[in-house]
Amino acid sequence: MKIEIISVPGTSAADTWPSKTITMTDGDYDYLIKLLALGDSGVGKTTFLYRYTDNKFNPKFITTVGIDFREKRVVYNTQGPNGSSGKAFKVHLQLWDTAGQERFRSLTTAFFRDAMGFLLMFDLTSQQSFLNVRNWMSQLQANAYCENPDIVLIGNKADLPDQREVNERQARDLADKYGIPYFETSAATGQNVEKAVETLLDLIMKRMEQCVEKTQVSDTVNGGNSGKLDGEKRAEKKCAC
Amino acid sequence: MGDKPIWEQIGSSFIQHYYQLFDNDRTQLGAIYIDASCLTWEGQQFQGKAAIVEKLSSLPFQKIQHSITAQDHQPTPDSCIISMVVGQLKADEDPIMGFHQMFLLKNINDAWVCTNDMFRLALHNFG
Repeated sequence: MKIEIISVPGTSAADTWPSKTITMTDGDYDYLIKLLALGDSGVGKTTFLYRYTDNKFNPKFITTVGIDFREKRVVYNTQGPNGSSGKAFKVHLQLWDTAGQERFRSLTTAFFRDAMGFLLMFDLTSQQSFLNVRNWMSQLQANAYCENPDIVLIGNKADLPDQREVNERQARDLADKYGIPYFETSAATGQNVEKAVETLLDLIMKRMEQCVEKTQVSDTVNGGNSGKLDGEKRAEKKCAC
Repeated sequence: MGDKPIWEQIGSSFIQHYYQLFDNDRTQLGAIYIDASCLTWEGQQFQGKAAIVEKLSSLPFQKIQHSITAQDHQPTPDSCIISMVVGQLKADEDPIMGFHQMFLLKNINDAWVCTNDMFRLALHNFG
């Protein structure tokens, strides 16, 4: 897999008020993928997403809506047979974040709805945030589109080794238990930030490819013709896979 | 027309006192509730001074700041005061969020206490 960035539009949810429907100014992409950042307050979800989309810290406030998202365009190359390079897809990534509502009430199903992959984050300098990963995991399993959605576990703030409370072994064991990848990242330095998101995207794309293959088989049988792929529509079908 | 009506004066001084306590040390908020008081916090119900203080104290943030945008107060037929607040808050380093809060104040033994309190974040499109 190889991912290159082709553009970084700095859109925020504020531009889409008041409708839930997100209108894209530029519809030139093959897949729209929605990712959700989850984890305790203060683990660095927002700065992580800022780092991934803008490659810098940005303390700008979005005050008009309770949920915020960042966007980024990437190119996803599929692997062809025999390791040859396959097709290149333009992927429009939406990375969703909360505004801290989870401090006031628990997050509802509506929040998880439509997300295709999850960045489950904790703070390497907070044992409590690591212990809460289990709670987030069960919330995810209960509310996501299916019981085993694509997730990466992220231990953030790896740039603060002297304040570290969670060791790598512990975290890796937990990730292995859930069968998900684990990354230690730093939103401050950028360490592993891209790699974590790209790994998640790869999992999602692989899952979709499997669905597409199945769909194409049945399409061929029915004499149908699958046109342009829409990640959003695919995601709805994913549960049936 | 001179002074503001008495319910406005009592209501606004209560509001000022309430958010000052909330922002500085919310464990002290027990002083304004009684055992018959009700709190509805984001749809969750709590009754009694102890349960209310427990809920407010355990909210998971270190710092909070409230900023009051507007407040309205009315006298009720049974000599209570009903107050509504619209404002914004900022918890720790989270983005600023809007909120609404409503209070019913009752005079018991020459002191005003809060018998009913309802709080909601002003969030839309969030489910």
